[in-house]
Amino acid sequence: MEDVLNRIINLASQRFSVDYAEARIQRISKTYITLKERRIETAKEGFESGVAIRVLLNGAWGFASTCILTMENLKNALTEACRMAIAASRQIKTPVEIAETKAIKDKVSVKPQKNPAQIPIEEKIRDLSSIAKTILNYDSRICGCTIDYLDIVGTNYFMNSRGTYIEQDMLYVWSRVTATAGEASILTFSREEIGSTAGYEIFDINHPENIGKKTAERAINQLKAKSPRGGRYPVVLGPNVVGVFVHEAFGHLAEADLTLSGSVLMDKLGEKIASENVTIYDDGTIYGAFGSFKYDDEGVPSQRTLLVKGGVVVNLMHNLETAKKFNVEPTGNARAESFKYAPIIRMRNTFLEPRDYSFEELLEDVKFGYYLKSFRGGQANLDGTFQVGIQEAYEIIHGEIGALVRDVSISGNTLETLFKVDAVGKDFELSPGRCGKGQTAFVSDGGPHIRVREVIVGGSA
Amino acid sequence: MVEAPEDKLINLAEFTVNLAIKVGADEAEAFIYNESSIAVNIERGQITRSFSIQDCGVGVRVVSNKALGFAYTNIIGDKTAVEKTIKQAVKIAQVSKPDEEWRGLPIKKPYTSAASPFDDEIARLSSNELVEMASVMLKAAEGRDPRVFPIEGEVRASCIFKAVANSNGICDFDRGTVIECGLATIASEKGEVSPVCFEFNLERSLSVNPEWVGSEAARLASSSLNAKKIETKNKNMKVIFAHEAIQQLFHYTLVNAVKADYAQRSQSVLKDKIGEHVASELITIYDDGLLDGGLRTWKFDGEGVPQQRTPIIERGVLQGFIYDSYTAHKEGKESTGNAFRASYIFTPSVEPTNFKIFSGRKHPEELIGEVDDGLFVYSLQGAHSSNPINGEFSVVATPAWRIKNGEISHAVRGVMLAGNVFEVIKNVSALADNERKIGSIVAPWILVENVRVVGG
Repeated sequence: MEDVLNRIINLASQRFSVDYAEARIQRISKTYITLKERRIETAKEGFESGVAIRVLLNGAWGFASTCILTMENLKNALTEACRMAIAASRQIKTPVEIAETKAIKDKVSVKPQKNPAQIPIEEKIRDLSSIAKTILNYDSRICGCTIDYLDIVGTNYFMNSRGTYIEQDMLYVWSRVTATAGEASILTFSREEIGSTAGYEIFDINHPENIGKKTAERAINQLKAKSPRGGRYPVVLGPNVVGVFVHEAFGHLAEADLTLSGSVLMDKLGEKIASENVTIYDDGTIYGAFGSFKYDDEGVPSQRTLLVKGGVVVNLMHNLETAKKFNVEPTGNARAESFKYAPIIRMRNTFLEPRDYSFEELLEDVKFGYYLKSFRGGQANLDGTFQVGIQEAYEIIHGEIGALVRDVSISGNTLETLFKVDAVGKDFELSPGRCGKGQTAFVSDGGPHIRVREVIVGGSA
Repeated sequence: MVEAPEDKLINLAEFTVNLAIKVGADEAEAFIYNESSIAVNIERGQITRSFSIQDCGVGVRVVSNKALGFAYTNIIGDKTAVEKTIKQAVKIAQVSKPDEEWRGLPIKKPYTSAASPFDDEIARLSSNELVEMASVMLKAAEGRDPRVFPIEGEVRASCIFKAVANSNGICDFDRGTVIECGLATIASEKGEVSPVCFEFNLERSLSVNPEWVGSEAARLASSSLNAKKIETKNKNMKVIFAHEAIQQLFHYTLVNAVKADYAQRSQSVLKDKIGEHVASELITIYDDGLLDGGLRTWKFDGEGVPQQRTPIIERGVLQGFIYDSYTAHKEGKESTGNAFRASYIFTPSVEPTNFKIFSGRKHPEELIGEVDDGLFVYSLQGAHSSNPINGEFSVVATPAWRIKNGEISHAVRGVMLAGNVFEVIKNVSALADNERKIGSIVAPWILVENVRVVGG
């Protein structure tokens, strides 16, 4: 593979005089399984290969992707990438420049205890069927369940015109389990998600029966939940909700491309944007975490990036282009979903650092509020408004956990809310997720339990 | 951009089906999807990059002893890779569990439409022409208001070719074109930043208007400035949902509820309600797979079944659900041509084609004129966190504007809407005449009474 890439990169430099070129060949296989109740709706395997060629020429980027890897077609793709760059450069006002990087030669192998590629599909089906069986046998009020499973195993071959050549294995195992329950006219919905870059051993840590039980239990408990009151209330957020808040509400604003596009962090570098209890990292180096990798898709080593320290924004997440603009080192956040996409700035494992409160201490001072334990989805806007939908929540009454509430969501302004974080717990948990920004990236996020003095709770009661 | 590869794709589909049968499948189906696109991107006020993407692959579905197996590959230049994929699909079927309700792949039926929307002008577009369109869009936005900053945008032209074949004699080819231009902007003034505002045109023929898109994206952002909070904490109000807000609200809830698999699995609140009033009498919805210029208008669906027009709700009364072959056979019905496949990677799943909410007769201004005190909601944040089964939602309305005395008064921020989609469709009191296609949904502006508004 090194030879093939070498010829393309040399051609780019010699014939097209590009300022920078990179080529990324990917060979992967995927397994997808979907179970609906006891039925296997989908069991499939896929084999994909392709190349992404990206060039910087005349101050603009050109990109070409193709799945036919003959030398002739690779040359055509390179020509096409250069032609695209020239077209884009016709109206360039500020030419694109990129940060300097060192040449790296490396071969990164994954060493899973259980390699999903070597586990027969019937064994995977058996494990997932055991999740389904646990859910369906849990209670007669369970209406159904859907279990999705995906694994990806393969290799990325990356070369650029600065002498970097990296062969990097990739491995992902992911599963999402949903259950619905019904009683009278009430229907409830519950979801659990697991994900790992370590190996299929994730199912030894999260045993299929436990995942099933957890999902079913929530769906059943939600049947007796009441509707929340709308208004402003103090809340205690569970690690899973802290994660989605840190990712959606804060993290996207700190992706340097979005910061430059006018996110509310634009003029705030070095300033206090949160209470001093808040320290946030984006870390691509946590073993086995769903957002970990050794090199990003620009060949930059992944790292542990401190974003907020004691309430002050100290850094952003960068690719080569934004690092140059801010005159800092790239942080290894450039990721591409596949060879069909050019890398863009993405998060990895984003979390809030734990401090010193116990769960009971966090609840203690709350007269009336909500404990938001687990999220359903979240979204934020560059202007700093966020929304997080919650799938499991409780009332807090006089410092004690009270009744369950259904279909709550919270919203507010990110920076105002970060200032209202008045206590941070000492526990810690990361949850896997899939983040959409035109492309999908596997990430994780989390933190400890925290308390927020006030957010808007959207409720229908 | 590309030549129509009709023969090549049909040959590959037939080869795949024949080989699958030869290596032991009882039934086999091949779905081939070939997409070529070129795109030009705008980033922070200038055109900085362009893309050329070609993707082609084959998905093979086989049945062995009533058990299904599926495999796909995009390594189609190499016959051994295709053979390996076919054999893998057969192997998966052989180790999988039999499905007693499997009644077979669909049989050949005549197509109702001759051809899908394909515009040679889109197929012939060059990267320079796309740069020109992007540039027009950009200038229109910048020229409208100096407070507006175009943050990102794209002009993309795609050609799609599909072929499907199965062991029951289905064998056909279809082609289509799509062009999209979209621009996201923000406006800022005196420390206030507007929400990101997005406008776009997405069409099957070269009828997009980049100048309009740019100018509208800018207008949305600048009119979102000077936003005020809503004084009331909790109040029921009249709300006009614009196209995008409708799409967001319905996509995760109502659309699921009319899928046959959701109903059959007791995951739809509309189950067993055919013939009942489930919505306001003003609501009529068809799933129209043949809609002229529809974004999901094709000759056949992902299983080779002809697309068609299917009544869903007629004047508020539930008429039926949408089906693929499997869910239809379960009820002794015919597929409605709703087996959707986004590409060769996916197995068919029940999805709407063009989910069309019929327009009313009111001019948009007339609709606003009917509201004394309410909201105009352009887009929603967090609709994907709605409860996909019971339809409960709790979302942020942004960008959104207050309506007072029949006129748009000012932008609002920090406003949440909470409620249930199945109540919302009962509380519709008027529809505008401004139908628009957004994703799989086609809808006008809709006025809804009594929506719970939570201010901050």
